Amino acid sequence: MYSYTDFDRQFVHARAAQFRHQLERNLAGTLGDDEFRPLRLQNGWYVQRHAPMLRVAVPYGELSSRQLRQLARIAREHDRGFGHFTTRQNLQYNWIPLVDAADVMDLLAEVDMHGIQTSGNCIRNITSDAFAGIAPDEVVDPRPYAEILRQWSTLHPEFAFLPRKFKIAISGAREDRAAIGWHDIGLQLVRDAAGAVGFRVLVGGGMGRTPVIAQEINAFVPWQQILVYIEAIVRVYNQFGRRDNMYKARIKILVKAEGQRFFDAVNAEFGRILTLDEGGREHLIPAAELDRVAAHFVLPEGLAEAPARDIFEGAAPAYRRWLERNVHGHRLSGYRAVTLSLKRAGVPPGDANHGEMDAAADLADQYSHGELRVSHDQNLVLPWVREADLPELYAAAKANGFATPNIGLLTDMIACPGGDFCALANARSIPVAAAITERFDDLDALWDIGDIDLHISGCINSCGHHHSGHIGILGVDKDGAEWYQITLGGADGSTLSGPAQAGRVIGPSFAADEVPDVIEAIVATYRSERAAGERFIDTVRRLGVEPFKGPANAQRTLTGNAAVQAQ
Amino acid sequence: MKFISSSTDSALTLEQWQAARATATGPVALQIANDYDVELLADDLHRFSRIELQFPKWVDGRAYSQARLLRARLRFGGELRAVGEVLVDMLPLLARTGFTAVQLRAGESEAAAREALAFFPGHYQGDVGESRPWFLRAAVAAA
Repeated sequence: MYSYTDFDRQFVHARAAQFRHQLERNLAGTLGDDEFRPLRLQNGWYVQRHAPMLRVAVPYGELSSRQLRQLARIAREHDRGFGHFTTRQNLQYNWIPLVDAADVMDLLAEVDMHGIQTSGNCIRNITSDAFAGIAPDEVVDPRPYAEILRQWSTLHPEFAFLPRKFKIAISGAREDRAAIGWHDIGLQLVRDAAGAVGFRVLVGGGMGRTPVIAQEINAFVPWQQILVYIEAIVRVYNQFGRRDNMYKARIKILVKAEGQRFFDAVNAEFGRILTLDEGGREHLIPAAELDRVAAHFVLPEGLAEAPARDIFEGAAPAYRRWLERNVHGHRLSGYRAVTLSLKRAGVPPGDANHGEMDAAADLADQYSHGELRVSHDQNLVLPWVREADLPELYAAAKANGFATPNIGLLTDMIACPGGDFCALANARSIPVAAAITERFDDLDALWDIGDIDLHISGCINSCGHHHSGHIGILGVDKDGAEWYQITLGGADGSTLSGPAQAGRVIGPSFAADEVPDVIEAIVATYRSERAAGERFIDTVRRLGVEPFKGPANAQRTLTGNAAVQAQ
Repeated sequence: MKFISSSTDSALTLEQWQAARATATGPVALQIANDYDVELLADDLHRFSRIELQFPKWVDGRAYSQARLLRARLRFGGELRAVGEVLVDMLPLLARTGFTAVQLRAGESEAAAREALAFFPGHYQGDVGESRPWFLRAAVAAA
């Protein structure tokens, strides 16, 4: 993984010092709360229901065991002992007092970490494929480009106060595991006929109140030009994005409103930067710089390909299940990637306490060359596991509660922290997730149901990606009570899910207590209607949402039929 | 960075400039709105000693792009002044996008603003003062 240069290190320490200066001025009363707010947000500090929330950047999801141990230490010494891994591959703390904030930033800087641009109306932490650099279907390793983009976007002076937040995702594989169509900019690394590397550039995707799928603005931008191309996009957005209404301020609204005119403006701006601007061509990436960064992403030391083996040979049933769901293919012979499931009964999806973080760091040291990844679906991944070590790792993962064999299954759900923590949420996510997990606690049934993306957001800000869930659950507020809107047929853009699209609402909102029954009824409908071997999402595509509505509405015990009749 | 305590020197609005354009002699100070396309000023830039760019709200970042374009694209060499809701912590961004003067909002501390300029050893991307990104400077330093 990328290792910091002296300059990188000085930079995050400088950022921590700058933040301390701002915090001290705020605490002393010379920097007002309103003015401090955007500054702390751009360092990852929100103010939540109980305490501030800190969002720590995990650039494109890569984490070392040393970093994870420091995150555990921060959880232990400054939080109530745990953290929450997010869909954007970051880590959030929920209980750190603001007076500790500057000290925590110093602790993060000690291990080359920070909260830069994890919030605020700026270019956010860049996300990527959790299997980058190890996936068998990879065309180009996206990590060197993600790192170059991270550096370029960090404290960009022109783009610190955009109309709204701005998210970039990069994928370098055939399978899109980064949901790039759902981002403000989605980048797909491709090779042209001659083998040259470039980016297919999508723009204008986003969730929230108005879900929109990104459109292709350029089929092939040579890799050398990508910083300049993105500068052109962001500059046009900075100048013309709406600032009168925060719900219409994302770039997706500008792209929708202007269409081809937006594309033309970006392409013209791109040309002008290269031909006219002082410093324009200097942001073309030199081969030497790509080589310098890419050198950090070579194989870990001591790693050697080994003959592939049949990992299923002689596997007992429980171990076999784990191999099937939590162990993934690898580009290197004799190696596998292993998901440590953070989706287990009694714990909110994506949460890990300090002991678990330390345990995961130990597993990484022992079995994965000290490296981990945070996945977009809120699990941890060990990227460099020898096939020969799998039985031992299984036992160790199981002992630490990481071996629930549910990756990709219904209980491997995505959920935001919801109303238990988040000041923005309309409704709680965690109890709903817990109730569904409890309802589907039978592994045999879970396996029979098969692949399902279940996504829960506590409000329309969509941190739980409900729009892209095969089953989406959205918390809504009506007259101060919590209600849940259910959607079917959303897709993140993976092969399993089909092209990225938002799910369709199946009817009026349900009460919290009805939600597990509704999910069960939807799943039961699928099981009775499915063709042989047909997965949930394919049944929904074939039948549409209609056949699911009746069974779902039949579960109304609290909302009654009034809600349906009012439709 | 020049700190302007109060605006005793007035600037023309765009409308006033357009009315005076044919007859004006000598250098002129101009103030433009933050949604104005600065590239339309290209032919007149040599006639301005100062351009004032506005921050109606400090979190409205459009004037950073205007400043950058005036400097890096149009090579404007006069004073670029930030006016409106200009706060201490904007200083690093203003300096890097080409502003040379600021009129801070009333009550903002000039001393704190100067401090705000001093934190970083350098930056990754190029800016108006240093057009090369860090990777080019580092390569030169290493050579």
